Amino acid sequence: MFNRDFWSEIFMALKRNKLRTILTGFAISWGIFMLIILLSAGNGLKNGVTGNFADRIKNTYTIWSSSTELPYKGHKAGRFIMLTNKDIQLLESLYQVEEVSPVLSKGGTLIFGEKSRNVSMEGVKPIYKNIEGIKMIEGRFINENDMNNKLKVLIIDKNTNDELLRISGETSMIGKTVYINGLSFKVIGVSKGMAFGEMGQCFAPYATLKAIYNINEYYQLKFITKGLDTKEDNEVFQKELKRKIAALHDFSPEDKRGVWIDSEMVNSLETMRIFNTINIFIWVIGIAMLISGVVGVSNIMRITVKERTNEIGIRKALGAKPRSILMSIVMESLVITTIFGYIGMICGVGVMEIVNMIMESSGGMSDPNGMSVFVNPTVDISIVISATLVLIVSGVAAGFAPAWNSVKVKPIEAMNYR
Amino acid sequence: MIKLNNINKTYFGAQPLHVLKGINLDVEEGELVSIMGASGSGKSTLLNILGILDNYDEGDYYLAGQLVKNLSENQAAEFRNKLIGFIFQSFNLIPFKTALENVALPLFYQGVNRKKRNMMAMEYLERFGLKEWAEHYPNELSGGQKQRVSIARALVTSPKLILADEPTGALDSKTSAEVMQILREVNATGITMVIVTHERGIANLTRKIVHLKDGIIESIEENDPDKMDFTKEIK
Repeated sequence: MFNRDFWSEIFMALKRNKLRTILTGFAISWGIFMLIILLSAGNGLKNGVTGNFADRIKNTYTIWSSSTELPYKGHKAGRFIMLTNKDIQLLESLYQVEEVSPVLSKGGTLIFGEKSRNVSMEGVKPIYKNIEGIKMIEGRFINENDMNNKLKVLIIDKNTNDELLRISGETSMIGKTVYINGLSFKVIGVSKGMAFGEMGQCFAPYATLKAIYNINEYYQLKFITKGLDTKEDNEVFQKELKRKIAALHDFSPEDKRGVWIDSEMVNSLETMRIFNTINIFIWVIGIAMLISGVVGVSNIMRITVKERTNEIGIRKALGAKPRSILMSIVMESLVITTIFGYIGMICGVGVMEIVNMIMESSGGMSDPNGMSVFVNPTVDISIVISATLVLIVSGVAAGFAPAWNSVKVKPIEAMNYR
Repeated sequence: MIKLNNINKTYFGAQPLHVLKGINLDVEEGELVSIMGASGSGKSTLLNILGILDNYDEGDYYLAGQLVKNLSENQAAEFRNKLIGFIFQSFNLIPFKTALENVALPLFYQGVNRKKRNMMAMEYLERFGLKEWAEHYPNELSGGQKQRVSIARALVTSPKLILADEPTGALDSKTSAEVMQILREVNATGITMVIVTHERGIANLTRKIVHLKDGIIESIEENDPDKMDFTKEIK
């Protein structure tokens, strides 16, 4: 059935009405083009924003110390609650908590040769790298050996690293000794860092700083949970944890402040929900545009079939079977939608690839610290495949109703149609 | 070849129209029959039913020994394609196909390959003196040429029955005579032929003239065309 004659008949029919074919096809091309552009832009935004957090473990929590808002049991409002070892013990006793990494913070001045720089030094555990998704540019992060032997090793941020290299003329800071508040540290790594302004951010082993400074109060506790998979699980856990910590520090469990409990999972779910909504929105708009194209094709096919009623009648009289008439009209519509759809798709993908190339060569849309907002705005193969399916379905749908009408009409009526 | 038993047909419009009121007719194999009648007598409707282009409400129609009743579209298409050749007043050639392609079209629906069907179509065009016109489109042909193309198309599948609806209706008298001569020659090869006409001159060239009036057969007249004088104009 689908031999050379079949196809040549279809292409003849399309050729006879070149202008009409092109105008109809344009609507389809435009619909698919815009769908691809919108989906690519949506993808770019999603890649940009989620890329910043991509390497973080999702099931992590941060507890921040803060001041109270409500008076409670004779305590005045505005009391500052510092997190303590008791909080760590509490967390470690909970079955939902897998590992706790307290964050020791110590400000100071880093000195290397002639150069000094203000830094904040965070004493953290090896797991902190995964919790925060820290990217290493050079060297390594803190490991268990550093912790066990309380080694005085240091990870410096990129800005600090660049600054020190510039002043000293060295090629690498790895293995160099620097001084912070008079103590010597060996640099073992350079991180991409999230430092702001002139202040550098360094990481040292938690055990080392704890031994040196004997700190027992913390501004931040970070921990990894297990078995909390849904938003509801996390909300229940969060509420329960807040109640326990409030009891420990004698502040109201109703207090919105006192301590902040922040769940990466809830944040990430929230972010994903926003992007999913945007994605659905884009598909709805894209499909709506495509539908207007499909309606156009269907309309044109209806007119084409009307004009060809006589011819169809003659063909029937000569022995054309309904299937052959149905197929030729449906395939004609399918050929229009797929060919022009693909033109639109290729244009859309092409335009976004060019945008992507320009963005990559110019460093992309990101702030000075490397936080990106728009990355790789292209669609993947699965979207191209689903767009193709949409095209095929819509092509068949556009042709079917007119084709069915022409099949149903009696040959003599078709031949006498004027 | 054709056996009609009490065929009835009504068009259900705003005003139901009973066009055929019990037609009984037998046509033997190889016969040349004309159906005559004024417009509105139901002669075209009868021909359409014979050609399975339209259905009937009551009665039985046997074509080549097979009952033609409540056929599916597929079966009807098969019957039309294999058994029947049509010749129409307005030729009904497909305007964007060449004479050759028009003649080859019924073979396309039989699944004959391109090379073979073009060869067969060319043979028939040659038989009617249209070899030089094979690559021309219908609008480049005269009325007589068009009708000869459509006769070639009707014959290309070697049907058992030719149905002609006013085959000379759009032609001048000289061309009409030529076309009728061709049709009689075709009939002479043993193909049954039914011609619908309102012209006495055309009917006189057939062996059996069926007079139709108001949906019933008024009379069936035996005729000897060989007594006709061909030197005289037939109109």
